[in-house]
Formats: sequence, structure tokens, C-alpha cells
Amino acid sequence: MDEVINRSSTIARELKTGSGAEVGMQVLKESQSSGTVGDIYVDDPRMTCRNVNVYYGDKQAIFDIDLDIAKHQVISMIGPSGCGKSTFLRCLNRMNDTIDICKVTGQIKMEGQDIYDGGLDVVPLRASVGMVFQKPNPFPKSIYDNIGYGPRIHGLNDNKDHLDEIVETSLKKAGLWEEVKDRLDHPGTGLSGGQQQRLCIARAIAVSPEVILMDEPCSALDPIATAKIEELIDELRENYTIAIVTHAMQQAARVSQRTAYFHLGKLIEVGETDQIFTAPRHRLTEDYITGRFG
Amino acid sequence: MNKQQQQQHERSMSRVEKGLARRYRQERNFKRLGLGAILMGLLFVSFLFISIFANGYTAFQQTFVKLDVFYDPEVIAPVGETDPDVLSAGHYGGLVKATMRELFPSVTNRRDKKKLYGLISTGAAFQIRERVMQDPSVIGQRESIWVPADDDVDMLIKGHIDLSLPESDRRIKDDQLSWIQGMQEDGRVEKRFNTTFFAAGDSREPELSGIKGAAVGSFFTLLICLAISFPVGVAAAVYLEEVAPKNRWTDLIEVNINNLAAVPSIVFGLLGLAVFINFFGLPRSVPLVGGLVLALMTLPTIIIASRVALKSVPPSIREAALGVGASPMQTITHHVLPLALPGMLTGTIIGMAQALGETAPLLMIGMVAFIVDIPGGAMDPSAVLPVQIYLWADSPERAFVERTSAAIMVLLVFLISMNLLAVWLRKKFERRW
Ligand SMILES: Nc1ncnc2c1ncn2[C@@H]1O[C@H](COP(=O)(O)OP(=O)(O)O)[C@@H](O)[C@H]1O
Ligand SMILES: [Mg+2]
Repeated sequence: MDEVINRSSTIARELKTGSGAEVGMQVLKESQSSGTVGDIYVDDPRMTCRNVNVYYGDKQAIFDIDLDIAKHQVISMIGPSGCGKSTFLRCLNRMNDTIDICKVTGQIKMEGQDIYDGGLDVVPLRASVGMVFQKPNPFPKSIYDNIGYGPRIHGLNDNKDHLDEIVETSLKKAGLWEEVKDRLDHPGTGLSGGQQQRLCIARAIAVSPEVILMDEPCSALDPIATAKIEELIDELRENYTIAIVTHAMQQAARVSQRTAYFHLGKLIEVGETDQIFTAPRHRLTEDYITGRFG
Repeated sequence: MNKQQQQQHERSMSRVEKGLARRYRQERNFKRLGLGAILMGLLFVSFLFISIFANGYTAFQQTFVKLDVFYDPEVIAPVGETDPDVLSAGHYGGLVKATMRELFPSVTNRRDKKKLYGLISTGAAFQIRERVMQDPSVIGQRESIWVPADDDVDMLIKGHIDLSLPESDRRIKDDQLSWIQGMQEDGRVEKRFNTTFFAAGDSREPELSGIKGAAVGSFFTLLICLAISFPVGVAAAVYLEEVAPKNRWTDLIEVNINNLAAVPSIVFGLLGLAVFINFFGLPRSVPLVGGLVLALMTLPTIIIASRVALKSVPPSIREAALGVGASPMQTITHHVLPLALPGMLTGTIIGMAQALGETAPLLMIGMVAFIVDIPGGAMDPSAVLPVQIYLWADSPERAFVERTSAAIMVLLVFLISMNLLAVWLRKKFERRW
């Protein structure tokens, strides 16, 4: 019931603000997909998600999500806690496979290849879709081994020198090299929280992924460390596609080009970050970013 | 605040204060109770240790008697003989007797002579034979050597014989007493460190019996037990914790493992008897079967400890490994297992310590036999430490009482060092993240 009212109010507002053609498009899109407001399609997608539903046992956590993720862009996913941001993000590298009761339906394609296709191995997928977690989780090993682990198990390095090189470039890309180059043999767990998180980013980079997923990467960090990570995300955009879940709207505004707003497992609105934050089209989005709930 | 409210407030405050005193009192009482419980525990433990030590420390010494032995060529073999067969066939017991007769020429009566010979351990003859076989050139010569005294003499010297009893109730008679006194005055009696206790197997003669056979038997038994229960236990834990789907079957298995951990150990002995000895036809009393039975018994302990260790590895580490594309197997072997290993080892060592002290199941598979030889492998009949203690505790000789306590001390030393090893491992590999 609520839903219907929300929907109609959105459309009503759009009728007031938008041009007729746009509204027409919008209505058309709503009729063919899940009711997301905004443009779910992009010209040059790295990943495309269609009709994604996720269930934890009998409980459905994600409803009918359609979304494209563009190359060399940062897309941020925002929404109140428990709305399914992490769940959706974890679909993109099949991390949900590790949860017994979790079931994913629909289609997620990467470069035209369905990643949930039975024949596809998750190992190469996870190598090309890296992940950074909420709590920094370096292995209790040396800094060097933290970075070197991924390349080693995937056989990416030809020899020791090559591995040294991978470790160095990964740490440089993650902006950590200068801080740790003299103590690569020290445990990664001995670094500060912010450094640990950058170490985890470097670890993800080391296997040369195309996409990096970040699930609230700064929520355990202080403002200075957060600023560094945000800066880093902006730099990484050049070479990688990044999807970041965040509960800090300012962060989404600062680092991302596109923003997707989730509510109760549904993708409510997606669009250019500027537009979402300055002119949200759906009332729920507006309520959320103006701080009426969340 | 009106007057009524004021009164109300004061009343409730006074209640609270009264209650406060009671709460503090309860807290104090609770603390006292806890402290009392700990003190009680400490008291019992120290009582145990003190009584064992007080009973047992004398077993680490043994009374020796100095004999001037004449290696009589007529009794042993002609001078110059080196053939070990001939040398070992000599009548060495006769040498000891002759020496004793020489020492106390006044003893002529047959019955008295027997009492006189009884002062020296039968082990003396073996010792002299060893000496001659080692160096045949001593034949024909005279030499002073120290030989073990009989256990009754040993007990007398250690003050365990009550001389106020009438002679007929004593194991040392009056004339024996005077002979011993004579030897003592000659400086022929001495207490020395009891190497036999650590170097020999079991024996009917207390002064010749030692703990080594049982210790070696325990070692082989534990080795078999460890070699089977550790890999199987860890593999089972990894499978149940990391691989198996969570369904009714795995729940059932889990319940059964927990139940097995609570099964009385003697039942495992019966199982071992039925399966390994009666069905598979393995010999009785051997460490192999003992180890198998103890492995069955310790498996649940190890599985449970290992699962706890695996559970305590934070999921974030698994996610990290899976996130960079490690396969589930790689995640387990590269990350989860190394982090869980200290916990697994601790559990295993505690399981082993339990197995080391286990007696009942070993009785069922015949490890209670009297075995003199020190076992050379897992297929040789042998005793184990706790069973040896049981056997000695059952022996009537006074000298076995102190040996029982000494064997308990040895067992306790092993147990304590195993537990210390477990603590050390835990401290050393405690997770640092
Ligand atoms: N492992 C899980 N098992 C069962 N339910 C889960 C699990 N993880 C998340 N959920 C449920 O799915 C919904 C979405 O959770 P999540 O994706 O973590 O939200 P968000 O990251 O947006 O805070 C929540 O209702 C949560 O209770
Ligand atoms: Mg989340």
C-alpha cells in the first residue's frame, strides 16, 4: 500500500518537474523493470545485473534489481542499514556462495559472461572482481605475504623478482609503499587501521582485478585515514571499476560518479551522483538524503 | 518538594542504604566462598603431592652392600676363557654365597646360612656375571664391588621396619640385624642413587624392578595413539566444520561425537578387545592395540577441541582469502588451519595426557600382564605407567609401596610437562591480530 502511494507521489512530482518525454520514458521503464527511478543502463557497462533476487532461506533480502555498472567509474550504494546493500554487493563476486542459506536468482553478467553460470569457476571471478571489507582484515602474515598471496595462488608471478615487483606496484597504487617499504617483513596486522585497509586494497589490486567491491571500507577508520582512502578511490577509478557501499552520504557524494539508493531490498533510484544529491526524484531518496530517516 | 514527598524520599533512601549493606555482605560472602573453594582445592592438591612425595622419594635411593668377590676360576671358568657361552653359564650365585660365608665365618648352620644369603639381592649374581662377561681377565682375582641389598635390608636401612615388633612378625630377624650392623660398622653398607629404578623393567624383586619398561611401553602406546588420533581427529573436525553441509546427518554425527566423549573409558577397552584382538587377531598386551584403543578414546576430545579452534578463526580471515580468489581448500590449508593449529595442538596434548593416565581400557586388552623385558617396538608385550602403578600398588612387599609412589611421581612429571607444553604452545602461537 505504502509502496503504491510512494510510487504515485513520485510520478506526480515528476510530472511537475520533468519534461513530458522524460516522464514518458520513466513510466515505460518502470513498466518493464522493477520500478527503479533513474537510468539503470549505461553505454559501456562492465557488469550488468538483471532481475536479481536474493533469499536468505525463506526471507527475501533483494527484490528484482536491475543495474548496470559502468567502466572506470565509482558507483556508490547508499541506503538505510539492513536494506541489502552488502547483500547486493556480495552478489557481484559471488561471495554470497559462502553462506549456505543464501540463494541468488537472476542474471549478473560481466563482459557478457554470466557469472552465475554453472560452468564458471568462482576462483577467476574473484580474481577479477576483488573485494575490500568493512573491517580491515589483513592476513596475520607479513605485509609482503599479504600482497603476494593472491598472485602466488593464481600463478601470476613468473619468479621472485616479478613478485617483488607486483608487491611494490600494488603498494604504490594503494599509496602505502612509502610508509611500509622498509618493513615489508613486518606483520600486516601491526599497521594502523587506515594502513591495514590500504593494505587490503593493495592485496585486492595485486591480482589485477577489473572491478573492486568495497563494503563500507571506511566505517572503522578515523577521518584522516578515511580521507586518504577516499583520495585513493578517486585515483583507482582510472584503472578499475569500483562499487562502494557506504552509509556516509558525504562520502558517496565525494567519491562516486553514480549513486544507487536502496530501500528494503529494492533499488529505489539510481543516477548521476550530483543529480541524486541535488535533485532526487523519488521521495524515499529525498527523505533519506535530507536525513529524515536512515 | 512538599513534606510528604520529602518523607517518602527519605524512607526509600534508608531502605536502599539498608539493602546496600546486605548487598555488600552478599558480595563479600560470595568472594569468601570462591576463595575458600580455591584454597580447599589447593589444600587437597598439596596434600596429594606431599603424601606422594613423602612416600616415594626414598625409592630414588637403594641400599648397596660392598662385597669382596673372589672370581673363582673353579666356579666360573678357567683363567683365560673368553667364550661368552661358557662365561655366562658360570654359577655366580655361588660366588655371592661364598663371599658372604667368608664375611661371616661364624655362620655354619644351614638355616642361618640361608638367612645370611637373603641379605643380598639375587640381582648381585647377575651383576657379577655382567662384570665377568665384560672383562674376563678378572677371573682368578679378588675385587670389591657394590651390589644391591635385598629389599628387606633396604627397608630396614630406610627405617621402614618397626624393630619394636616381636621377631616372628618381622621380615628382618635378630641375627640378620646383627650381621647388617656388623657390615655397617665395616662401612660396607651405603645408600646410593637408584639407577635400576630408571633403567630396568618390572621384576618380582622390588630392588631389581624399574619403571623403564612401563615408560617405554607408554611411549609406544602414545605414539600409536597420536599417530592415529591427531590426523583423523583434525581431518574429521575440518570436514565437519568447513566442508560438510549443515543438515540432520551432520547434527546427528555431532551429537554422537559429544556422546562418545562421555563414554566411560573401560567401554573402549571392551570395544578394543572385541575388535582388534578377537576380530582382527592382534596380539594381547601390545602397545599397538593399546594405542588403537586410546586413539578411539581420545578422538572425540581432539575432534571437539579442533572444531572449537576452527570456529574461533575469525570469519574475516576466510572472507579475505576467498575474496582474493583462494579456493575453499586453499582457504582452509593456507589460512584457517595454521591459525587453528595451536588450539588443535593444545587439545591434542590434553587428550594425550588423558590417554597417558588411562588404565581401565588397557586392563581389558591385557596390558596388565607381568612383563620384565623392556619393549623394543609397538608389537612387543609391554606395560604402561598407570598399569605399572596399579600392579605395584597391589604387591605386598613394603618396598613396592615407595616404588608405587615414585612411579606416580614419574607419571605426574610427564603429565605436568605435557600440560606445560600445551600452555606454552598456546602462549607462543596466541593469535596476534
Ligand atoms: N548471513 C545472513 N543470513 C540471514 N540474513 C541475512 C544475512 N546477511 C544479511 N541478512 C539479511 O539481509 C538483509 C540485508 O542485509 P545487508 O545486505 O547486510 O544490509 P546492509 O548492508 O544494507 O546493511 C537484512 O535484513 C539482513 O538481516
Ligand atoms: Mg552492510
